[in-house]
Amino acid sequence: MAARGHVQDPNDRRLRPIYDYLDNGNNKMAIQQADKLLKKHKDLHCAKVLKAIGLQRTGKQDEAFSLAQEVATLEPTDDNSLQALTILYREMHRPELVTKLYEAAVKKVPLSEEYHSHLFMAYARVGEYKKMQQAGMALYKTVPKNPYYFWSVMSLVMQAISAQDEKLAQTMFLPLAERMVEKMVKEEKIEAEAEVQLYFMILERLGKCVEALDMVRGPLGEKLTSELQSRENKCMMMYQRLQLWPECNALSYKLLLKNPDDWQFYLSYFDSLFHLMDKSWSPPNEEEHCVEGPVQTTVAEAVKFVVDRMEEEDKKESRPLRGPYMACLELIHRLRQRGCPDEQELGDPLELMLQFFGKFGDKPCCITDLKIYLHLLPPEQHTQFKNRLGELVPLGEVGEDGFGFPGDTKALQRHLCVCQLSRVLGLQRVLDTEGKLCLITELKAHYHYGLQFGKSCLKTELQFSDPYCLMVAHVYIDLWTETGDENMLWQCLGVLEEGLSFSPSNAQFKLLLLLLFCRLGAFQPVVDLYSSLDAKHVQHDTIGYLLTRYAGSLGQFAAASQSYNFSLRFFHSNQKDTSEYIIQAYKYGAFEKIPEFIAFRTRLNQSLHFAQVRTERMLLDLYTEADMELTEEHRRLSLEEESVWLKVRSLTLRLLASLALLGHAPSSRNSDKTNENGVSAKSSTLQTLLSQLDLTLQTAAQITEKQTQYPFLGPPSSRLATALSSGSCHCQASALQLSLTLQELETTGLDDSSELQTQICNSFKSLIVQLQELLSRCKGEVLEMKDSRLMTQPSLLETLVFFVETVCVVLWVASYSASVLRPLKSSLQKKKKKKKDSSTAMPVVLSGFQEWTGSLQGIVTQALDHVKGQEASLTALKLAALTLGVGHAQTQEECGFTRAAMDKVQTSYLGSLQELGDLLRKRADSLKSLKF
Amino acid sequence: MTTLRAFTCDDLFKFNNINLDPLTETYGIPFYLQYLAHWPEYFIVSEAPGGELMGYIMGKAEGSVAREEWHGHVTALSVAPEFRRLGLAAKLMEMLEEISERKGGFFVDLFVRVSNQVAVNMYKQLGYSVYRTVIEYYSASNGEPDEDAYDMRKALSRDTERKSIIPIPHPVRPEDIE
Repeated sequence: MAARGHVQDPNDRRLRPIYDYLDNGNNKMAIQQADKLLKKHKDLHCAKVLKAIGLQRTGKQDEAFSLAQEVATLEPTDDNSLQALTILYREMHRPELVTKLYEAAVKKVPLSEEYHSHLFMAYARVGEYKKMQQAGMALYKTVPKNPYYFWSVMSLVMQAISAQDEKLAQTMFLPLAERMVEKMVKEEKIEAEAEVQLYFMILERLGKCVEALDMVRGPLGEKLTSELQSRENKCMMMYQRLQLWPECNALSYKLLLKNPDDWQFYLSYFDSLFHLMDKSWSPPNEEEHCVEGPVQTTVAEAVKFVVDRMEEEDKKESRPLRGPYMACLELIHRLRQRGCPDEQELGDPLELMLQFFGKFGDKPCCITDLKIYLHLLPPEQHTQFKNRLGELVPLGEVGEDGFGFPGDTKALQRHLCVCQLSRVLGLQRVLDTEGKLCLITELKAHYHYGLQFGKSCLKTELQFSDPYCLMVAHVYIDLWTETGDENMLWQCLGVLEEGLSFSPSNAQFKLLLLLLFCRLGAFQPVVDLYSSLDAKHVQHDTIGYLLTRYAGSLGQFAAASQSYNFSLRFFHSNQKDTSEYIIQAYKYGAFEKIPEFIAFRTRLNQSLHFAQVRTERMLLDLYTEADMELTEEHRRLSLEEESVWLKVRSLTLRLLASLALLGHAPSSRNSDKTNENGVSAKSSTLQTLLSQLDLTLQTAAQITEKQTQYPFLGPPSSRLATALSSGSCHCQASALQLSLTLQELETTGLDDSSELQTQICNSFKSLIVQLQELLSRCKGEVLEMKDSRLMTQPSLLETLVFFVETVCVVLWVASYSASVLRPLKSSLQKKKKKKKDSSTAMPVVLSGFQEWTGSLQGIVTQALDHVKGQEASLTALKLAALTLGVGHAQTQEECGFTRAAMDKVQTSYLGSLQELGDLLRKRADSLKSLKF
Repeated sequence: MTTLRAFTCDDLFKFNNINLDPLTETYGIPFYLQYLAHWPEYFIVSEAPGGELMGYIMGKAEGSVAREEWHGHVTALSVAPEFRRLGLAAKLMEMLEEISERKGGFFVDLFVRVSNQVAVNMYKQLGYSVYRTVIEYYSASNGEPDEDAYDMRKALSRDTERKSIIPIPHPVRPEDIE
């Protein structure tokens, strides 16, 4: 709580120590102090509320709430109590109670500007737009200040935006908002820029573009001064919507003369030009083409315009702008699209790109620029283009190794750009294995040579040479995916580790390493890499999704839960945070931002479902390759796959939860009717969930049949395919299905249920077979040396995790079975005693269960042996015995980095196995309690 | 060449390439929302023709007019590695200065790490000078010592005598700056 300004009121003085305790986090003392004060001053309501805050913060929510309500029902009107209650309700996540509070206060003190305004904000926090509209108006009537009036207008706009029925928005809310503003305009009461912005927003949403244009161009528009080019931008928007191409063209032209580098206006200039040509538009009046000035309607004029802009740049002494040269390529592209022969007047694209390279080849962005227009070159020109570019790169004398090196960073950047272009053109990809290895040698030489230019670089700066290293890594990945040779992968890891040692801040290195370690199933180094990226807040969503995909599936449960927590904390805080700033936007009149904030909140709230699509294409951006781009199709498929996987998981979770509830429910056989109803209601939930799971698994099977392969740098594929192919999903489903049959037995009893009992026993046996199969799929070496090569099989680890998960589900069902069978057994024994009959054999289901728990015990023991065996052979692996670098000319140093990467993978595998073993042992203990 | 436009919430999902730089802070969502709500005109992003975000500037206007301290402040300025050396930061600074001129500010100021020589030199080239040193303004996370900041200023046309940029010789503590 903020420090309080005035201390004249004796109550303020009395309350101050409590505020101080709360501020310092000393909640216990705050409560004590409040109690002391309340003994003397029973009616000091605020003290009660402050005590409630203390209680709330020490976890005593119920007590806090009832104390707060004692005060709230008195409908307090003192500032202290109101503010304290507001804080308390906010901490309780009950913002709707604040509205009640101020509704009462406003009724008692109808002339208070402060309370009215608090009431408006309280409504804003919960999004009660209609009430906001009224509260805003009531406020304006109490104190006729413009902002209050426009708060009310904005609330109408929000009603329009949130209306389910677009018609209602267009015929009621927006017209009403418009009339309200018009009234102020007529009375000449418009004061602030925000009010004009809001007027524009309303007209725009109503589709009244002509009116909006008139307004922006007229005297009201003169108020639009905060944002640069605000009037021009708004006019442009309206011209485009109204398809007023002459105005659009003339304005773009004017703005480009002012700033020949503003790309958006080249696009609108060309768009409008071609629209005008298609319509054979001619000016109605030679003198004045349109309000915005001269209009250009021919290709010749456009060509001249662009050529003139380039000449201007050529003449300049200072740094030339890239815009005009790029515009020239864009114009060629558009003319070609239209089949217009005039493109030749601008020149040959190859020559133009060479010129561009001549001017900007020493800038790191040259590749990003040219990449967009490479399609203007026919494939047969690609090699020629690359060679001609090479001629423009000044390299030194060719040395012993056959390479010439750049003499400074500008030459280095040019050389790099040529390498990047040949990669984008696919010239690297077509090389055979030998060719690629030669390329790697060359790139490595350049990488090492270039490091000298960055000797004085700070730790926080990137090395000029870094992109070479990244490219080497990508060529290694090409080789690995083409040949399956894991040595390529190890060397790739080595070169990236080396890169990181010289350039510890390079996020691209870290992300690629992170991805590779993930694919290798080695999660421990991933955790370190992620933490060194220092991802925060929104980045837990946009980068963190990589971690959350792999952590759990690789048996690193502690790390997994930590990374889930990061993400969850971020998502949870979002709801509260955004509401606060929606209110601020009202206060500062940033009306345009209000719908934007609300859309943003919605987007974050839906994030878990849409994680893949929405996520930053960070990894894609790592290195863009023409032939490896992620298609829209991949994006859609990945989203579909992730959504189905999410559904499978959440259904499993809900099934387990309802099973847990059933297990704790009192046995239904001897209970009264309501209880039976309760149980049958629950069993129907179980039934519904099971059939949903069944349907989802069918859909899932269809998806995995497609066997979609995402590009290496694309989204990680979900766990769905492995979950299905390992048999884990079906085993879990049949275990859960068994619980339903057991329920039936619970109602039928042991007599007259021999068929049901046989069915249950068959399920017991079948589950054992399924678990056995699943376990057998885990057999093999996750890491081994063969012919002095190190080979990995990370999929074994992922399958083992599925096995452990499935064992957990089955054991859960087993303990539920025990809870059903135990009472059946004891009632049977009672009967036996009565009849003094000891000859009856034990019912099938009971002996079957005994046998089943025995077999389960056996399987868990086998699994533990398997894990132990894996751990032993991993520990026994002597990586130092590997002879690295044979045939690939790796230096001693490079081998060191590769070895370090190998060690990380080995250690991480061991860690995963240990965690899995621990979990299995814990679950095995629970088996013992199942015997009867 | 670049498209300059207002920064929007959705850009928070796309700015990793800029923000993964170790000297660029990623703030909590509320921080960005506060700027968007209060000074939307001061939050500008530039976009490449291919749609990549190149860099952004985030600022605000604050200070008392009566005491001639009303000014524009640069809170964050960052450009992605591949779009450096193009004069983009200078362009974004020019825009922030223009907005501050229109608001009648006396000067523009900013804080920069003393160690960030690249940035300090760039600001000097753009006409900024060190007004004072703020001791341990940047708190370090991983056990390294806290770092000092330069408070750099550039006078705007309203400050005709350029009074606002006369350097203060003694360093100040963070709690002493407003």
